[in-house]
Amino acid sequence: MVIAEAGPVLRVQNIRKWYGKHEILKGISLELNKGDIKCVVGPSGSGKSTLLHCINFLVQFDEGRIWMNGEEINYNSKRALYDFRQKVGMIFQDFNLFDHLTALRNVQIALVRVKKLSKSEARRRAMVELERVGMKDHMKKYPAELSGGQKQRVSIARALAMDPEVMLLDEPTSALDPELIGEVHSVIRDLARGGMTMILVTHEFGFAGALAKEILFMEEGVILEQGPPEKILSNAECERTREFCGKINRLHKGTD
Amino acid sequence: MEELLFIRQEVAPALLQGLWVSLLLIVPSAVCGLFIGILSGIIRVYGHPILKRLAGFYVLFFRGFPLLVQLYLWYFGLPYVGIYLSPFTAAFIGFTFCSGAYHSEYVRGALLSIKRGQLLAAQSLGFNKFLAISSIILPQAIRRALPGCGNELIYLIKYSSLAYMVTCIELTGQGKILASLHYKYTEIFFIVGGIYLVLVSIATWMLNRIEDSVRIPGFERPKDFVTT
Repeated sequence: MVIAEAGPVLRVQNIRKWYGKHEILKGISLELNKGDIKCVVGPSGSGKSTLLHCINFLVQFDEGRIWMNGEEINYNSKRALYDFRQKVGMIFQDFNLFDHLTALRNVQIALVRVKKLSKSEARRRAMVELERVGMKDHMKKYPAELSGGQKQRVSIARALAMDPEVMLLDEPTSALDPELIGEVHSVIRDLARGGMTMILVTHEFGFAGALAKEILFMEEGVILEQGPPEKILSNAECERTREFCGKINRLHKGTD
Repeated sequence: MEELLFIRQEVAPALLQGLWVSLLLIVPSAVCGLFIGILSGIIRVYGHPILKRLAGFYVLFFRGFPLLVQLYLWYFGLPYVGIYLSPFTAAFIGFTFCSGAYHSEYVRGALLSIKRGQLLAAQSLGFNKFLAISSIILPQAIRRALPGCGNELIYLIKYSSLAYMVTCIELTGQGKILASLHYKYTEIFFIVGGIYLVLVSIATWMLNRIEDSVRIPGFERPKDFVTT
């Protein structure tokens, strides 16, 4: 038997999404091989966030197909969706920690309820993940007692505990004070070093450029241009991409 | 002296008997009503459209009909279709469904106040809808609904006095009998009212204790906030 060549971990083909008459995603396709990191940039309202939600089936798209490790996800089967979502970690802009649970139990609960681990095993695993993001000392605190950066780190630990094969990060630092962005970036950098496959939506060009192999520029529901960071961020072919990236770059220079 | 003797020999035993019946009505209707309220509240927010509509009608009718009319229907109406309820059962059912309808609104409001992101986060971790609602959304919503549901319990304690209109002789019923027997309306009803006041005070104290015991950062009661 021939061992199949390792194909993409995640393959997204021709995703379309309408809200009423408005087409939010106009046929988005992308592929991620193991360890790939792709950053999606673009103006707000361009559909970046909707794309991530669609990939995780949190938003039902109207057309398109998704494969994981060569296997197509049958979105009519709830069971298949629940299994798929466990393998795809999602990080939200506004953290979405479970407000009634401590940091530890935020990480623990899905292990117990979804993965059916014993409580003690789940607790052990949760502590490992919290340590990994530097939050072990705060594990007894409730979300209301944590800073934004700490919340986001707990939410990353919560996703990691499920052993995801892909992580989707939806503007993970957009809701943070500038001085808290660094701690979350350093956790994401650690993930990248560990070989995690990721799609990252962000406006932090410097971070994206240093991290990603490929940048996708999205506008009005289409990927206008994609390529290595040095090309897209500073030397894009498409005028619109140049204009947008130029603006963001100037903005960042201005604040430095 | 004569008065004290009268109270001890005539009033106290009768009112205690009535109080006992009242408690037997209030406690089970409170528990069952809360259960029905939580269930129908969840259905009205997350349920299948058909169930949602049914639950909506339930709340509409049981909040819309005066409670006394509901009790009359349970007790005097049902015999027309061959169902005979004892006065106690009729009162219990009437209170339970009425209370449930009000709880349903408090629970619905609390569920709607939970940010959508909580459900999204749970789903993104592989929770199915039932698990996400029962272990993530509901524990938060119940905390938010507690003050309202507590208020409903206080109401229930007092509207339980309507039971005597369907001949279920509870505290108010006993009071009424005593009062007309001895022609001492003012005295007897003052005592009866005082007993309700005590019941309500105990309930309020217990509700505060419950709120305290489930309180966590982020779900504080307003008094914890500095208002100036």
